[in-house]
This record gives sequence, structure tokens and C-alpha cells, in this order.
Amino acid sequence: MHPIKISDLRFKYEEAQKNILDGINLELAAGKITAILGLSGCGKTTLCYCMCGIIPHIYHGHLDGEILLFGNPLHKMELSRIARSIGIIFQDPDTQLFSPTVEDEIAFGPENLCLDREEIAQRIEICLKLVNMEKHRFEHPENLSGGEKQLIAIASVLAMDPDLLIFDESLAQIDADGKERVKNVMLQLKTLGKSVVLVEHDPDNLAIADDIFFLKSGKLEAINITNKREFDELYKI
Amino acid sequence: MSKFSIEADIRSKLAVVLGFSTIAVFIQHIYVLSFILIISIAAALLFGANILKAIKTTRNLWYLFFIIVILQSIFSRSGQALLAINGFPLITAGGVLKGGEFLMRVSVIVFSATIISTSNSREVVQGLVQLKIPYDIAFMVSVAIRFLPLLRSEIKDTFTAIQLRGLDLKKIPLKRRIRVYLYIFNPVVAGAIRKARGLSIAMEMRAFRAYRKRTSFLKLRLSAADYFIMVFTLIFTSAVFVMFYYFNFPAGII
Amino acid sequence: MSFIKFENVSFNYQHQKLLLSELELSIDSNSFTAVTGPNGSGKTTLGKLAMGILKPLSGKVLLEGRDISTMSLGKVGSKIGYLFQNPEVQIFANTVIDDLGFVMRIKNIEENEINKKIDTVLDFLNISDLRNSNTFNLSYGEKQRLAIAGILINEPQFLILDEPTTGLDIGRKKMLSALIEKLLAAGKGLMIISHDHKFINNFSGKVLKISGGKIYE
Repeated sequence: MHPIKISDLRFKYEEAQKNILDGINLELAAGKITAILGLSGCGKTTLCYCMCGIIPHIYHGHLDGEILLFGNPLHKMELSRIARSIGIIFQDPDTQLFSPTVEDEIAFGPENLCLDREEIAQRIEICLKLVNMEKHRFEHPENLSGGEKQLIAIASVLAMDPDLLIFDESLAQIDADGKERVKNVMLQLKTLGKSVVLVEHDPDNLAIADDIFFLKSGKLEAINITNKREFDELYKI
Repeated sequence: MSKFSIEADIRSKLAVVLGFSTIAVFIQHIYVLSFILIISIAAALLFGANILKAIKTTRNLWYLFFIIVILQSIFSRSGQALLAINGFPLITAGGVLKGGEFLMRVSVIVFSATIISTSNSREVVQGLVQLKIPYDIAFMVSVAIRFLPLLRSEIKDTFTAIQLRGLDLKKIPLKRRIRVYLYIFNPVVAGAIRKARGLSIAMEMRAFRAYRKRTSFLKLRLSAADYFIMVFTLIFTSAVFVMFYYFNFPAGII
Repeated sequence: MSFIKFENVSFNYQHQKLLLSELELSIDSNSFTAVTGPNGSGKTTLGKLAMGILKPLSGKVLLEGRDISTMSLGKVGSKIGYLFQNPEVQIFANTVIDDLGFVMRIKNIEENEINKKIDTVLDFLNISDLRNSNTFNLSYGEKQRLAIAGILINEPQFLILDEPTTGLDIGRKKMLSALIEKLLAAGKGLMIISHDHKFINNFSGKVLKISGGKIYE
């Protein structure tokens, strides 16, 4: 079964004139990394928000079409239910971390799910190990570098044990070394059978993707990029 | 710099702060207030609070307090005149005393509050939760506290940016300076809204408020020392009140 | 004489270890300089020191031979323009026109002249169509251009751009790089702080690398 299946999704923000998403169809493959490219303002983030229920639960607008999460209609589920299957990591690490220690940060999600303490302890250890940040367990997230903060944001989403992770331009603010570390984590997630959606506008981060889609005029198009010239063509305005 | 300090549960720290502040608010007597002020500074140091840093970060607040003190000492005239214009007493001994009392009361509250800052925000939240305060309210308080430094760096940048536009804040007359402040308001509010929204979405996407209850990985336990601190604070606070109201000690108000 | 000069500059943030140590640096008024380095290495700090926004722990920063710590931020702003990492902190008004004009209005400059300056800057940046827009409705890339417009209206000789490519897609990066070429052609000097090596390599000039508190060329 597809982790996410989108059929004919259309969305328009309240004050907007036209649909920002205008007939999106997408079947995500389990255990694969799917990249979604597009120019700024083309609706990439809007699509992410639809996939994880932030639209229509937090942001409102005119939503049409259907999104199925493992076969169940997504917009009928509560956000806290969706959060168990889908995790999302945003661009700005500062607005994702709010706890005084790394350990508290990672425990936050599992605590909300009412897991027992032994289980939480286990998850903290596993997730820290996965992002290779064990030695920062008792540090204040504020004192970490941008890339390290993003790794902690990933760990704290992973602690919810989701099947699908969405990275909404999560690599933009971090340096080359940080990017490599995050990409390595994505590849590891794949081997664990998790699905990854990578929303990007930097072609250098696409090497790890299995499928690539291009979002333009509200529609998704599967593409196959083999050389740089094709890529430049894509972005011609 | 490792100094001696008491490791205590946040709940016993809250008890101490509550006790001292109650005394400071209800008993307006210069001797009692001076006594409590000394005790609260001692307690803050004992718990390992950084009082100097607290004074520094609340610097602007203290200017405000001093203005209030001066106003109070001008407006409440009683006793011997210390400064008089044309025989009209402007500053009086009674007024200065009133102002001094106010300053001490505020100091007791600020200094004892620094005791709480020796625990991290997760401990404070957990303390409140274990005191039966709803967890979502407790968390909102802690996120609000986390939010302030995040905002502060942006406000600083905005202040810098408007000056770099060629405005020398010190040289602009007051009336026009107010107009400048209105312009600063704009990016600061926009930034605050954007950040607050980001934080709340991040929390909700990690199933915040999924259930009425939540488990806690962190568990606070009261030690023998904590029970001692709490019982001691209770006895101490009651003793001060009983002495003051029933035995009229220390006697007489000047 | 060099335009910006660092003499033996060291810096640390309160209660933290030394971030930059004994830097020597000399930048000409019409040169291109790129500053790179990992997150947290002190790139932004270097830029803020060059602006006099931060004061060195020891050593001196000179602007046109004068100690920058004796100059007001307003004075520095008329010589060096500074683009913050987040352009939203430097957009103040609700409309584009007001944002570009309010400082001059506070200084009682004539309305005709204000409009002329605004038009020149908008034209230079190719954003004349945004003239009557509301600043809230601008995209990130447009906000960045507006922030640059707010800088250029002061007619500074030199610009420092802090991480200008963050949040820009390839098309917008190309537009930014064309704008940088245009500024250089107009005789302005530029310092770009960025970890985007690919972007920096578009330009010829000095590349400084910060690492472990030191600068390497």
C-alpha cells in the first residue's frame, strides 16, 4: 500500500486568486526517497502542508481532491493521529526546538503519545545514535550549530516512529558538512523501510533521490535528470 | 567557577519564592523588609543563583523602579521635610521611607525569583505538572519563556538596521523619535507572529495535546532536604506573620 | 589606504570562548571579497564587526582610516550597506514606497527628491513594478530586493551581504548574481558572507575562509 496517495488535489489560499495546487496526482513509493523540485512560491511548502495535515487543520483555504494515508482519508484524521505516521522537518531549526536539553526535546513527542518511560528511554537512545549525536544528549540545543540543530529536529521527529518523513527545504540553512550528515541519515532511513520526501531547490542534493518530480503551475511532473543542462532548462523562466 | 550550592527540587524552590514574596507583599515594615531582603539574597546565593546577571538582565526594569521610588517619595508627604521649596515640603522622611519600602519589596521578589532560574525550563514545567497544573498550560509558559531570547536577537537586528538606514536615534528630537519607534514595531511584530506560528506547528506535528494526559520521561522526586526546605519555609513565613500581627513585633511604624 | 581594515581584532560573545582571534584584514573600496566557513565559525560576526555593530574584544576596525567604534551606526550606514541574513528585520513600513522614503521624510527632505531617489533605486534593481505593493505580500526574493533597495538609497560605497542565497531558488540566485555583477560594474565594493561555494565561485576576487578563529586566503 502507498504511504501516501494523492488524487486530483487542488488548493487555494483564502485571499488568493487562483489555485496554488491545481490537480496534483502522486503515489509515494514505500522505502524510497522522493524529491520534489520547483521554483520559490510554486507551492512546494503548500504541498508538504497538505501531505501532513497542517492544511486544513491549521491553515485554511479551499481544498479539493483526496489524500490517502495508508488508504485512509487524511483530512478526516486528527493532527495528533497523523503525526504518528508522518513527521515533518522545516527549514528554520530555531522554531522547531523548544526544550532546554536535547534529551527533553526528543522525549517530547513520545511523551505526548503516552508511551511508558522505558520505551521513551529506548527511543531516545536509538534516535540519537541514528543521527550520531549521542554525546550531545544533555546539551542545550541553543549551543549547537545549525546542522546539529537540524539533526536534533530530525531525531525528535524520528522518536515518534513515523513511516514517512518530509524534509521541507531542511538543508537550506546548513553548511556542506551538515548537509552530508543529514543526507546520510536519509539514506539510513531508507534502509529502515521509511519513506522520505525531500523538497528542495538545490540540485546538488538530488543524488540520493530515487524519484524526482517537478512542481510547476500547480501540477507535478515526473522527471529524469541526467545532466546539468537538462536541469538548467527546467528552471528557465 | 564552582561554588557551593544546594541541589533542590523545583517545588521546594517555588515554596521558598512564594513564602518570601508573600511576606514582602503583605508586611510593609522597613525592618521586616530589610530582614527578608537579606534572607532572600542569602537564599538565592545558597541555591546557586547568579544575582549579578539577574540585575544586569533586568536593568531597564530597575530604572523604572527608581522613577517610581522618586515619585512615591514626592507624593507621599509625612514626617520631617528633607527638601522644601518656599516652605512647601517636597521630599519628606516619610516619603523616602515609603519609596525605600517599595524598592525593597520589589527586590525581594526579583531576587527570590532568581532561585527559580537555577532550574531548567523542563524541570519548572514538570514541577508545575506534578503540582497538578494542566500540562498544556505549563508548557505554554515555558515556550513563552524560550521565545523571548529568540525574539531579542531579532529586535536587536531591527534596531541596528533602522540606524544603519541613516537615523541617529540619539540626535532625533523626541517627537520624531516616537515615529521611528512605530516603524520598528512593524518587523518586530511580524517576526514574533511568524516565529510563534512556527513553534506551535512544530509542537502540534509532534502530537502535542494528543491526549488529556501525557507521560513524562523526567520524574521529579523530593529528597529529605526538599522536605526540610519546605517545612522550614512554612514555619519561617508563619512565624514572621504571627510575630508581626499578634505580638506586634517589630513594633511601631515611623 | 584600504577601505575597511582589521587590526589585530579578537572577539568573543559573552561567557563564550574566543570566536575570532587576532585577525588582520584589509579590504579595498571597490573589491569583491567572499567569506566562507562552516556554521558557527564566525562569518556573520566578522561582517558585524566590519559594520561596527559589534565591538571587538581587542584590536581595532578602521573605516577609511577612522576607528569605526567612534562613528555612529547612521554614519557607517551611509558608507557601507548591510543585508541581514533575514531581510524581514530591515523592512519597516507597510508599503514599498513608505519603506524606502520614511527615513528621508523624517529628515525633512523634499518630496520631489525622495520620489526621484526611490524611482532610481527601484529601476536599478528591476523592481519598479513593486512600487505600490504592500510589503506583507512580497515573496522572500522580493523582500530581499526591497531590503537591498533600502540599503542602496543611502548610496553607500560598499555592501556586505550576509548569506544572501539562503531561501533562493536557482532562478533567483541567477538574478542575484546578475545584480552583484551590476553593482561591481557600478564601482561598488562587496563582501559576501556565504557557505554556498558554488555561488561564490561565480565571481572573481578574494575568498577568505574562516576556521578555528583564523582567516585563511
